[in-house]
Amino acid sequence: MVELFSNLALGFQVALSPINLLLCLIGALVGTLVGVLPGVGTVATVAMLLPITFGLPPVGALIMLAGIYYGAQYGGSTTSILINIPGEATSVVTTLDGFQMAKQGRAGPALAIAAIGSFFAGCVATVLIAMLGAPLTQLAQKFGPAEYFSLMVLGLIFAVVLAKGSLLKAIAMIVMGLLLSMVGSDVITGASRMAFDIPELADGLGFATVAMGVFGFAEIIRNLDAGADIDRELVQQKITGLMPTKQDLIESAPAILRGTMLGSILGILPGGGAVIASFAAYTFEKKIARDPSRFGRGAIEGVAAPESANNAAAQTSFIPLLTLGIPPNAVMALMVGAMTLHGIVPGPQVMQKQPELVWGMIASMWIGNLMLLVINLPLVGIWVRLLRVPYRLMFPAIVIFCAIGIYSINNSPLDVVLAGAFGLLGYWLIKHDFEPAPLLLGMVLGPLMEENLRRALLISRGDASVFFTRPLSAGLMAAAALLLVLAVLPSLRKKRREVFGESEN
Amino acid sequence: MADTVGRLPEQTRRAARNGSGALAVLLLALAPQLVHVLWAAVSPLYRVPIGNPAQIAVDYATALGTALPAWLGATFGTVPSPPLPSAVLLALIYCYPLIALALLTLMVRPRGPQDYYGGIVLIAIAGLALWASSDLEGMQGFSVGAGTVPRLCGVLLMGLGAGIVAVGLFSEGPALARYAWRGPLFVSLAILGFALAIRPLGLVISAFASFMVAALGTPETRWRETTVVGIALTAGCSLLFPYALGLPLPLLPRFLLP
Repeated sequence: MVELFSNLALGFQVALSPINLLLCLIGALVGTLVGVLPGVGTVATVAMLLPITFGLPPVGALIMLAGIYYGAQYGGSTTSILINIPGEATSVVTTLDGFQMAKQGRAGPALAIAAIGSFFAGCVATVLIAMLGAPLTQLAQKFGPAEYFSLMVLGLIFAVVLAKGSLLKAIAMIVMGLLLSMVGSDVITGASRMAFDIPELADGLGFATVAMGVFGFAEIIRNLDAGADIDRELVQQKITGLMPTKQDLIESAPAILRGTMLGSILGILPGGGAVIASFAAYTFEKKIARDPSRFGRGAIEGVAAPESANNAAAQTSFIPLLTLGIPPNAVMALMVGAMTLHGIVPGPQVMQKQPELVWGMIASMWIGNLMLLVINLPLVGIWVRLLRVPYRLMFPAIVIFCAIGIYSINNSPLDVVLAGAFGLLGYWLIKHDFEPAPLLLGMVLGPLMEENLRRALLISRGDASVFFTRPLSAGLMAAAALLLVLAVLPSLRKKRREVFGESEN
Repeated sequence: MADTVGRLPEQTRRAARNGSGALAVLLLALAPQLVHVLWAAVSPLYRVPIGNPAQIAVDYATALGTALPAWLGATFGTVPSPPLPSAVLLALIYCYPLIALALLTLMVRPRGPQDYYGGIVLIAIAGLALWASSDLEGMQGFSVGAGTVPRLCGVLLMGLGAGIVAVGLFSEGPALARYAWRGPLFVSLAILGFALAIRPLGLVISAFASFMVAALGTPETRWRETTVVGIALTAGCSLLFPYALGLPLPLLPRFLLP
């Protein structure tokens, strides 16, 4: 316990230095700014803004990226509430009641409750990260290659179960991601794999390149399908009265608590918990409500619960990254990319060797959430004005920004072309109802999984039963198998459909 | 009688649609070869000739025709034969299964076209990956070689693709979504243009030009407004990236620099 406080104190010492405070502020602001733009989700925002952190010292860069991350998430909820267009998947359910509230002239309280809920969730999640950090790091040191491999299998199974739509398609996307991750030189033997003798592919496909393609360009192209001026029912009346009433607060407080709890748990799971967290929190609120018919007509709990849940999950998803070195979702994978650029290999060693880095980042998350609360509510007018910029002007600007961003990562024109190609692939995936998120997760975990698989088999002299005889590994594998069986059972399939069905009606 | 007459045009339409579906799958089956030949045809323009396109085309055609006997000979023949050439492997691993699928497409009417064609493309991707990793080493004693995991994933993806094809074939599903051409075309052109122009022409020209090309992606663009925004954005990027962020981007065309 004493250690916890000294760790947090160290963190705040780092995070409160003027330069880091400034970086956190810039990150949160820029993140919100880009996150507010429709059609630019969190992953694309972080990928696009990755280059602007290159010149910074490692701690500063990570603090700024984390700021961008939750700024973008915050921006996504703003658009959900004001124009009924979710900036990203995690705020899809927020549109249901948030936009209804805005239509009833209660946009102010909706935004405020979303911000307050997010802040509360952020506080809880920060404490949770600080508490779980040390014990999980210790556990991680008991992990050998076999355990790591099994853990990642479990994570991928989670991703499959938590993905929208057909299980078969989700698994296919993961395998495709694994295949994409193998393009380039083999880590162990150095052999060139599936690179078609193209020298630029020898280093493999950049993660940011693929992410920008399937999440950035594909989204832009898809938005153009409907015509540039998507029917954006912008809430026209001026937003007055930001403060929620006492009644609002009483109604939403328990929802915030429940959302935070659900989100914190789901976020730790590898496999992109933030999306499912918001869906689950909303469904849960609707289930236990005394009058479920209020939902979809502007119930404030319908904003409070999913917003708290997705923010809690967004923060707790740092836990597997910081303690085990396993990125649980696409944004965390970009974080790994950023860390690698600065010469940091995420994992249990970082926690011990560079505590100021890890704890500084954790403390800055809390500060960043506070900043978002204090700064963004008064600034909401600016974001609204930004939303009035027509899409016909916005999308070419986003295209150029993404192109410059990708080019500047490696100074490679081929990366830009590849991102374009992946944009078309992403467009095709959307048209055929394939989810791009599991693909990205497969690509992220691919190299780690393969390396650990091969190392484990090398150590066990080719005996594949090692994954089932070592107790920890066996436990993880059993959990994965159980989860997969559960997912195929009809009752859970129905439940999955129910949870995700919310966004469609 | 009237009923039958009424159905006739419907059936021909269906048949025609399936014909085009089969043609698309066939095109996919021959896509790697076509891309290679086309690339060989245009590569002299970039002063990196990679071979005579006609010769490459003939080689592929021969491989397609002789792949099966070559494979049978290599597998069941008594005389040890040299490893199969890459073009033959491509025909065996990638083209034959897809040509078979093209024939299947010609004969059936999938109930869920979205899944059916989605699955076929996954099979194609898996086949391509299997072919591309066929030259890599597999298991070496108890050490997993460079090719083992890619091939494992390729087989897995092929199986999953086949599963999705089966789902699309037998269970009712959504029809193919409509594709727009304008947005994808001009956005891709803008991206491609930027990639080609950034090194020789610098940030200012390439950013502005790509902005204008991307703006063609929608018919709703108003040119005066777009030009003004384009200029402002280019100016902003030229200050932000090289100066504020210190990224090494060339601003002006190479020939203008001393």
